[in-house]
Order: sequence, then C-alpha cells, then structure tokens
Amino acid sequence: MRLDAKEPSGPIASKWDRHQFEMKLVNPANKRKYTIIVVGTGLAGASAAASLGELGYNVLNFCIQDSPRRAHSIAAQGGINAAKNYQNDGDSVYRLFYDTVKGGDYRSRESNVHRLAQLSVNIIDQCVAQGVPFAREYGGLLDNRSFGGAQVSRTFYARGQTGQQLLLGAYQSLMRQVHARTVRLFARREMLDLVVINGKARGITTRNLVTGEIERHVGDAVILATGGYGTAYYLSTNAVNSNVTASWRAHKRGALFANPCFTQIHPTCIPVSGDHQSKLTLMSESLRNDGRVWVPKKQRDTRPPEQIPEAERDYYLERKYPSFGNLVPRDVASRNAKQACDDGRGVGDSGLSVYLDFKDAIERLGPDAIKEKYGNLFHMYQKITDENPYKVPMRIYPAMHYTMGGLWVDYNLMSTIAGLHVLGEANFSDHGANRLGASALMQGLADGYFVIPYTIGHYLAGESLPKVTTDHDAFKESADRVQKQVNQLLSIKGSRGIREIHRALGRIMWDDVGMARTEESLKRALAAIPKLREDFWHNVSVPGTPDNLNQSLEYAGRVADYLEFAELLALDALDRSESCGGHFREESQTPDGEALRDDANYSYVAAWEFKGVGKEPELHKEPLNFEEVHPTQRSYK
Amino acid sequence: MTTRVRVFSSSVGTKLLIGITGLALFLYLVLHIGGNLMVFLGRDVFNQYSHMLLSNPLIPVIEIGLVLIFLLHVYKTITMFLGNRKARPIPYEQKKYAGAPSRKTLASSTMILSGLWLLVFVIIHVSTFKYGTEYEAPGTGIRDLYRLELENFSNPLTVGFYVLSMLVVGSHLRHGVASAFQSLGATHPRWTPRLLVAGKVAAAVIAGLFMAIAVWAYATGARS
Amino acid sequence: MRLNLKIWRQAGPGAAGRLEDYTASDVSSDMSFLEMLDVVNDSLVRQGKDAIAFDSDCREGICGMCSLVINGVPHGPDRGTTVCQLHLRRFKEGDTITVEPWRARAFPVIKDLVVDRSAFDRIIIAGGYVSVNCGGAPDGNAILIPKEISETAMDSAACIGCGACVAACKNASAHLFMSAKISHLSLLPQGQVERYRRVVAMIEQADADGFGSCSNEGECEAVCPKEISISNIARMTREYVRAMLVAGK
Repeated sequence: MRLDAKEPSGPIASKWDRHQFEMKLVNPANKRKYTIIVVGTGLAGASAAASLGELGYNVLNFCIQDSPRRAHSIAAQGGINAAKNYQNDGDSVYRLFYDTVKGGDYRSRESNVHRLAQLSVNIIDQCVAQGVPFAREYGGLLDNRSFGGAQVSRTFYARGQTGQQLLLGAYQSLMRQVHARTVRLFARREMLDLVVINGKARGITTRNLVTGEIERHVGDAVILATGGYGTAYYLSTNAVNSNVTASWRAHKRGALFANPCFTQIHPTCIPVSGDHQSKLTLMSESLRNDGRVWVPKKQRDTRPPEQIPEAERDYYLERKYPSFGNLVPRDVASRNAKQACDDGRGVGDSGLSVYLDFKDAIERLGPDAIKEKYGNLFHMYQKITDENPYKVPMRIYPAMHYTMGGLWVDYNLMSTIAGLHVLGEANFSDHGANRLGASALMQGLADGYFVIPYTIGHYLAGESLPKVTTDHDAFKESADRVQKQVNQLLSIKGSRGIREIHRALGRIMWDDVGMARTEESLKRALAAIPKLREDFWHNVSVPGTPDNLNQSLEYAGRVADYLEFAELLALDALDRSESCGGHFREESQTPDGEALRDDANYSYVAAWEFKGVGKEPELHKEPLNFEEVHPTQRSYK
Repeated sequence: MTTRVRVFSSSVGTKLLIGITGLALFLYLVLHIGGNLMVFLGRDVFNQYSHMLLSNPLIPVIEIGLVLIFLLHVYKTITMFLGNRKARPIPYEQKKYAGAPSRKTLASSTMILSGLWLLVFVIIHVSTFKYGTEYEAPGTGIRDLYRLELENFSNPLTVGFYVLSMLVVGSHLRHGVASAFQSLGATHPRWTPRLLVAGKVAAAVIAGLFMAIAVWAYATGARS
Repeated sequence: MRLNLKIWRQAGPGAAGRLEDYTASDVSSDMSFLEMLDVVNDSLVRQGKDAIAFDSDCREGICGMCSLVINGVPHGPDRGTTVCQLHLRRFKEGDTITVEPWRARAFPVIKDLVVDRSAFDRIIIAGGYVSVNCGGAPDGNAILIPKEISETAMDSAACIGCGACVAACKNASAHLFMSAKISHLSLLPQGQVERYRRVVAMIEQADADGFGSCSNEGECEAVCPKEISISNIARMTREYVRAMLVAGK
C-alpha cells in the first residue's frame, strides 16, 4: 500500500487556498441527500457536526456521555493559540507554523501544520461570534498569555476553563443544528464497529448504553472524532471513559494507525498519592508563566520547602535553559522532572514530585493578581492535596496527557479507508512527536469548523455512493461480530476485576513504555502485554446482563481493545529507534541528555496495518519532507 | 393576548405575579398597621380615623382591587405549589439544608402552610371586624370600631389566635418580602444583602406591632 | 478507614428502588468519594455481582457528569465542589453515608444512581446559542467588550450543566441552569440579536419538561459546584419582562 498524503502542490502559503478552489463541491440542494455520521462530540466532533449541519448535510452525531457537552475537551484549561499578532510582538502565521513544526520535533507534515496556523485566526473570530467569553483587557480587546514552546503571546483564554468555553460554544452551535433538524443526536451510544462496503466506510454499529441494543447506522461518510488513547496507561489526565475503542475497531477494519508511540507526558500534574487513584489531575501549564520549578540540590532532602534556603535550591529549568527557563516545551520539562526524581532529589512522601513555587510571583504581583489568574487551579490543587499553594509550593509530577499518534489521515483528513475521516486528537497529523501547549484546542476546532466542511464535500462529490440500507450483509456481519464479543465478555465469569487488569496494563505501559524507553524495556512490555491479554480473556469477571445499562461491560470492552492496542504502541516505540519529542529512547540522546533525533533513518510517519490480533502488523512509511522548516536539533537553551 | 396569558402562566411569569401581588399585600399591611396604631391615641381619634377612611368613596373600589390581588396571590401560589410537587414525584430518602449562602429557613419552606393559615385568618378577621357588630360611637353617629376591638380582644382565646396568626404573618413576610424583590428581578450586589436584612426586620416589626395591639387591647379591656 | 454506605439501587427506569447497605473497608482518606465507590464496585465485580451504576467522567470537576446526593446534599458537604472532587478526609471513621441519585420528574432514573439529564440539552436546543454560521465571523477584536462585562458573562458561563441545582431545589426547578446561560448570552453584544426570543423559548421548554418553579430559597446556589449566583435568576426575570414589554413576545 502506498500512502498518498494528497498534499497540494505549490508554495506552502498558498497550498490550502489553491486546494480549496480545486476541491469539488456539492450543490447546496443536494447536501441534504447525504448522511454523515459523526462519532464524538468534543471540540472536533461537535464543531464538525455543527458546521456540516449548517451546510445542510444530514448529520447523525454520537457520544458515549449523557450529553455532548461532557466530552473531555471540556477539561482543557490553559488556552488556544492563534496567530493574530494582537500583541504586536512579532507573531505571524508563519511563526506559528514554524513553532509547531519545531515543537513537534520535525515529525509532522508541513502542509497540514501550515493550514492549521492559517486557520487559527478564523477560529478565534468564530468563537467570539458564538459568545465565548474570552479574557479581555480593560480597553475591551482580547487578552493573551504566553505558553510553553513559544516566545510570543498568542494564547487566548477564558480563565482556566478555555476548553470548557470553547466546547460549550461548539455544543451550542451543535444544539442549534439539532433545533434546525439537520443534526440528530445519539447520546449514550458507543461505536463498536465500522461498517465498510466495497472499500468505503458506510456506517457504524453502536451499542445503546441504556438499553443494550446493538444498533446499525448507515451513512455516506463517517467521521471519527473520538479523542486519544492516553488511558492505555490507566493513570492519565484523560477522563475515565476516554478510550481507543472507536479508533481501534476502525483500525481492525483497515484504517492504518500512525505513530502510536508519540504520547505526551504533561509536566504540571498533581502527583500520585496512592494505589487507589483513578486518574491524574492536570493543572494548566500556564502555571509555569509565574511558578518556578525547583528541587533541593541535596539528594533525599526531607526538610520542608520553606526551610530550604535559596542557595540550596536547584531551579533546574532556569539553570539549564536560560532563554526559555520554566517555559520549555512539555517533553523537556517532563523529562527533567523525571531526571531530578531519578536522581533522588524528588520531594513529597513518594519522592516523585518537584516543587512549583509561586512565592516570588506572589511577592511581585500580590496574592490577588495570582488569584485572579490561577484561582481555580489553586482551589483545585488544595481540594485534592489538602495543601495551600499560596503558602507552600505546589508539588507537581508529569502524567500521561495527550496522544499525538492516531489514525493515519491524508491532507483531506481521510484515513486509508475511503470515506472514513478522522479529526482532532484521534488523528495523527499536526503535532508530530510533541504537541505544544494550547494547540490541541486549535487543531480540534480547525479540523471541525474549517477543514472537514470542505474536504467531505470533495469526497462526496467525487464518489459514486450507491444507496445501501442497514439490511446489507456487511451491517449484519458487523452487528453479529459486536454481539458475539458482548456475549463472550459476559460469559467468562472469571475472578479478576476489570480495573485490576487495566491497572496492571497501565503499570507495564508507564514503567516500560513511559517517559524513557529502551529496547529492553519495550521488549519486556511486548512480552508482558499478550500474557495479560490472555489472562483477561480467561479470568476477567464481567457481571450483569447485556440488555441494560452495564458499565462493567462497557469498561471491559474498552480494556479489551487497550490490551490489543498497547502492543502496537510498544511495537512502534521499538521500531522508532530514535528520540524525538515525547518519544525518548535512552539509546538515542546527546551527551547532555537531550533527545537525539535520527533524521536519516526515521524521518517518516509510521503507519501500521492490522493483520490480526497477536500477529505482527505491517509497517507502511510516509516519508516526511521539510521544505520550509529545516530540521535542526531542537534547542531551548 | 393569548401569548400574554401564556407568559403569566410560565414559571417565571408565575413568580412575577406572586411577587407583584405579594408586594402589594405587603404595602397594604404597612398602611394597615399604620392606621391601627391610631388605637393607642384613644377611642375618638381611632374612630374618627376609621370613619374618614370608610367614608371615602374610593374605598370600595380599592377593596375590590385588594380582594382580587389577594385571590390572585392565593390562586397562583397554590397552583405553583401543586405544580412544584409534581416536579419531584419520588422524594429523597434523606434531604438536608445545603448551608450558606442558601436562604432556606423554616419560614421559607413553609410558605404554603403559613399562606393557607393566613387565608383562613383573613376570612375570620374580615368577618369579625368589617362585618362585625355595628356599634355607634356615642354622640357622633359614626361606627365605634374601638369598642368592637376591645370587646373582641377581651377573650383570651381570640388574643391567643391573633398572636399566633401574627407569628405566622411574620414568618410569611420573613421570606416573602425579600423574595418578592428577587422574583421581580431586583438584585444588586450591594443592596440585596441589605434588603434581605430589611425584609426580616420589616416582618418582625409588622408582626410585633399587630401582636402588641391585640395584647394591649386585652389589657385595656380588662382594666376598664 | 471504614465507612458504612446506604446506596440507592434501582434496576431500571420503571423499577422500584431502595437503599441497600454496603461497607467500604480499608479505604484511605486521600481517596476521592468516587474512588471509594470504585473500590466497592471492584469487589462486587470480582464476586460476579452487578456493580453500582453511577456517572462520572473527567473526575476533575468540569464535565458535570457526576451526580450524587450525599447525605441529603447534592455533590456532598463541600462548597463549590463536584462529587469527584470530594475526598474521604471529609468523613470520619465509621460514618454512615447515604447516596442517592438526583431526583426530579425531568431527570428520570436510568439505573441505580444514573439519571437522564437530556432535558437540559432540550433547554439549550430551544435557544441557548448565538445563531452564527461558521465562516462569516468578523474579527475577534471588532467589537470591544468591557472587561467587567466579559468577566460577569464568564461567571455565568462557568456552569457545568450537572443538574445539582435541580436536585437541591425543593421544586426541582431548572431556573439557575437556564438563567446562567441566558445571563451569559444576554450580557455579551453577540447575544443581543436573539436576546428576547431566547429567554422565552428556554423558559417555555423548561416548563414543558416538567421542572418546577422557583421559590427564591437559593439552595441551588449553595450546592452549585461553580457557585453560580441566584442573581442570574433575577437577571433572567428582567430579560423576560423586557421580552414581554419591549418585544411583545
């Protein structure tokens, strides 16, 4: 299989404009004759479903929660980037493009990233028009803050709840289309299979989570916007219901999975407090604007922080990276925290955390200013840890946060299955090996508001899509397959808890496929995962019946998919014997411990083809060409 | 017109009507206690005042208006109460006060009971005084309401019933006064907290004065 | 620590439910309330018994999915907190804790502690949006918005749609939820065009869905995880009056 990214030709700055003109259009009167299935209602899914509805398509929109407004985009705190240059500090579309390619450690597709930077500007306008209450200056203009990996202030925000406000904006637009009857909403539905007919994605099979009914939905194209796979690590900042199931089942139907090893560990999370923990809580990295990261210079220093004099503190980010200081990209900040803790200089009971100190900022700006900026984050921190960050330094530790990998898509966001489009975190395209802060919201909304409305029309107008119904054999085969798995899970009746197995998988992933990976650790993981999978299918206990709300059954299905997917993630990490972005192979580092890329051998997208559970998948490579931003060793010193 | 009617039957329109009628009744109570205080100035002043009031040709019109406002208040609150009960068909096994800044009090959660009590009270009260015995004040030819009042309150049971009813009035006003402003959409960061206090003070003062009159009348009647 | 639990179990929408006794033994005070329920469920699952159904997702207090009435108070005893952020350090060894679902006609129970809150979506569908299609928006800075206005709008927009206001209200009223959205949009210049249509449509929808009216007791504000003020409800009334008088809706 040759991967054709379908990148438009011509200079980078005009690729998207040219492509917009060259794409085929669907006549306005014909749009309502097309049914588009959108799975997911986060920033990407809701914005896609809303804008396709506005265009007049007939949209079916699915989510696993009770309301589209609960998708996990809601939890994004810090902000959304846009190359508006409102601050007159030298920002431009090109600079955002440049920063994103560089931040992604030269493993993203230039044309996609440039389009993203271009569209960033329109997103802000659209969101303001929807009534998103972005932070303002006293003069009434939009306010900006700076964020990791950038030297300009280009991040728009709404307190510490930017994701919530953007999602509610998209949700409200979506609800408007439900009112207009262009979108039909299916809440508490889980997509459990993709239906492919004659090589084209024509529908999905879902389970109604309330009644247990296996449902068939037919359409002319399918859009997946089902988020990332961070919960493969069990503990992550993702919502507990986030999962890889929709992507994975599409993968099993033929969609290639790209760069699964590109996972992002977020540096500013609340440290783990015990085995019982069900998820980790992230605090926006905007905290690093005013907080200073430090550990004691001495190993195993158990003095309380206020008793450690300045001279005995190591502000290691400021020391090692004088020009970016505490604002280095996430992967760099995370790895340095791990190194400090591995070195025995971590703080807290477990020794697995570092300080994030606001003392200087509080002295400089006053507690009220800090409260206005970070009040909700401080409140949340205190709730969880029972410590007051206005008085004692916060303790932070990295946690699994975002996954750059995902289903492979071309420039039109279409996967290797015709008609199956993938948006937002679920696709692999724009962030390369590392995502910059405040870029996920930007990508989700760019995909949904401004890319898919064009490219889906191009697909629909260029294909002949004979009418099919849910009576088609492919739908029947799919429903049978889903039903069979449901029955199988319920019939094991073993003695091991589902969470217990998920936690065991998470432990393998964090220890051996986490922040620092080696050939040895990866091989260890690749040996352990199939055993755990075996254990699951023989010993797991899934109680209850299939015909009503059965959260154990839902959870078991998701863990089952993770037990297959995790193997691919580890395999990809093993194949990529270089360090880049969030993927750090200990074998490949510079003398001073920085990630060392190997452009000669690994400047490609690794897209994997499913060959069967437990069977070696086939690797397809999409070579990456850098015409604009020439790969250099990233340096934030 | 139909839309206007629908507007007043909506949950917010209902609140508006209850708030407006409630405030009107409150205003009436303020005037009522103001007039009743004349009783302390002696028989002649009180009877003169009541005569002046009752002989005013506008009074019947105002009375009809007052009755309509009262009935509307009763009707809207009862239908709202019944509707609200339907909104939670299965009750909680355990339900507790949520704590500050909630304004919930025993008074606020028994508005329907205090209201029904007052409905009964008002009927008795009006039939006792407005439609009570028509004594003539000696030598003046006007009605001697002073005497009627002292006679009525010579019965300790009546005094007890009135005192109790005035406690109920106080309870109803304690939530009702400030609540009416909120129902009409009147809030202000600085004034609302003061209004909440003022509402409670007004409730206590009005109820207290009415009670004082009943007790004073009992004591005065017993002396003479 | 060890806690005694009385948890509402209900097999399905129409079924009768009742409180059943469970024990959470060997739980730590650092656990969140939901993690404690996870532990109870894990042990039920290992025994092949049906786990207690409850909603939760982000577990950081923003998605609005978790919805438990704990000891008679929605989201439990802490101010400005969702259940997922309530920690066991708030309770004492040996405490008995009652756990119930939101109760309202408009929020029917699906199973155990899980309720159907689609009525909230229907209120937004009725008009809780600004009708702007994607594509034609003017520059974000084209309309200046005073900081105070934008901050006040944000206070209202912070609503997470969890439904605790309805659960706490003795009338099961949705006024706080509705008024937060109405306030948010009516404060901003972008929301002006549909201002009057919106307030009337949303209120009519809430009434049709069987939510109660408002008695100004403010229990909703006291349990709201985002501490949304009932002054929003007063603002909604003002909007409604304006809609009646000015627009003749």
